[in-house]
Amino acid sequence: MARIITITSGKGGVGKTTTTANLGTALAMQGAKVAVIDADIGLRNLDVVMGLENRIVYDLVDVVEGRARLRQALIKDKRLPELCLMPAAQTRDKDAVSPAQMIDLTNQLRQEFDYVLIDSPAGIEGGFRNAIAGADEVVIVTTPEVSAVRDADRIVGLVEAAEKGPPSLIVNRIKPRLVNRGEMLSVDDVLELLAIQLIGIVPDDETIVTSTNRGEAVVYDQNSLAGRAFLNIARRITGENVPFMAITDQQSMFERLFGMFGRRRS
Amino acid sequence: MGFFDSLFNGRQGRSAQVAKERLATVLVDDRYKLTPEMKEQMKIDIAAVLARYLPAIDPDQIEVTLLRGEASDHLKADIPLRRAQQSDV
Repeated sequence: MARIITITSGKGGVGKTTTTANLGTALAMQGAKVAVIDADIGLRNLDVVMGLENRIVYDLVDVVEGRARLRQALIKDKRLPELCLMPAAQTRDKDAVSPAQMIDLTNQLRQEFDYVLIDSPAGIEGGFRNAIAGADEVVIVTTPEVSAVRDADRIVGLVEAAEKGPPSLIVNRIKPRLVNRGEMLSVDDVLELLAIQLIGIVPDDETIVTSTNRGEAVVYDQNSLAGRAFLNIARRITGENVPFMAITDQQSMFERLFGMFGRRRS
Repeated sequence: MGFFDSLFNGRQGRSAQVAKERLATVLVDDRYKLTPEMKEQMKIDIAAVLARYLPAIDPDQIEVTLLRGEASDHLKADIPLRRAQQSDV
């Protein structure tokens, strides 16, 4: 029986899709059977992030409306046979699916997988409601910015109102240098404001950009800090007790020394 | 490090701290669906009630803040009183 976990955020562009793709990949690397669902109907993206855009035949709406069977719409990952993607429809909108249909869909997937991750659309309207309808748990992604944190707090309220249990939090795109200078909200600041359980800290990392360009998950990259952070989150999801990465300045002493002089210019 | 930081940031204070304080206010206002308009009305109402017991209070001087606490949230109202004249008492 699968655990159904929705990844959501309120604000757009904070890294929901990247998080879903990487957590799905990381869980499958650990040997779990995983389905990732793109619930952002009309703004399909999880497929391109995972590099599976050329394999789509049927989508979520086709399944819901009975034009395709569940298995037909599930696309196998390129590398991991136990990882599947259910793409969103691109030519329809959020109203093409109802919360009841989402619950039905997730219940069907529940039989065949260990984890079902749902990539939620931004916002607090119908698309978000669909995305959390079938969820057992909700993970909220935020960045350490005022707009993202405010929207995350709205989502916390809505998730609690939907009786999904307390959501957990991923703080994405932390810039240690700015945090050290007191110019970016720290993870502790964000936690104090939102008062929910932390499940991951992901440092800002350029390898996200390059791996996404290629349609590859960053968790394959041993040298990527963000990749390691996502692997850690996946282990925490499975119940392992993994200490949080120390988000310190990753610069070398040399760079740091240089930075002291460089700061004058900036 | 501290020296340079204070040199460049001393005046306005660190922006993270500013962000945190602003968010602390706005999040709890959001949660209670308390609009700025409602806050203004609340001040007028508070002034009206207190005027039954105390010398006239200017609603514009009242500061109402919702604060998030560990176990429960709080409403903090700072209400400056006009200092009572001997003859008023």
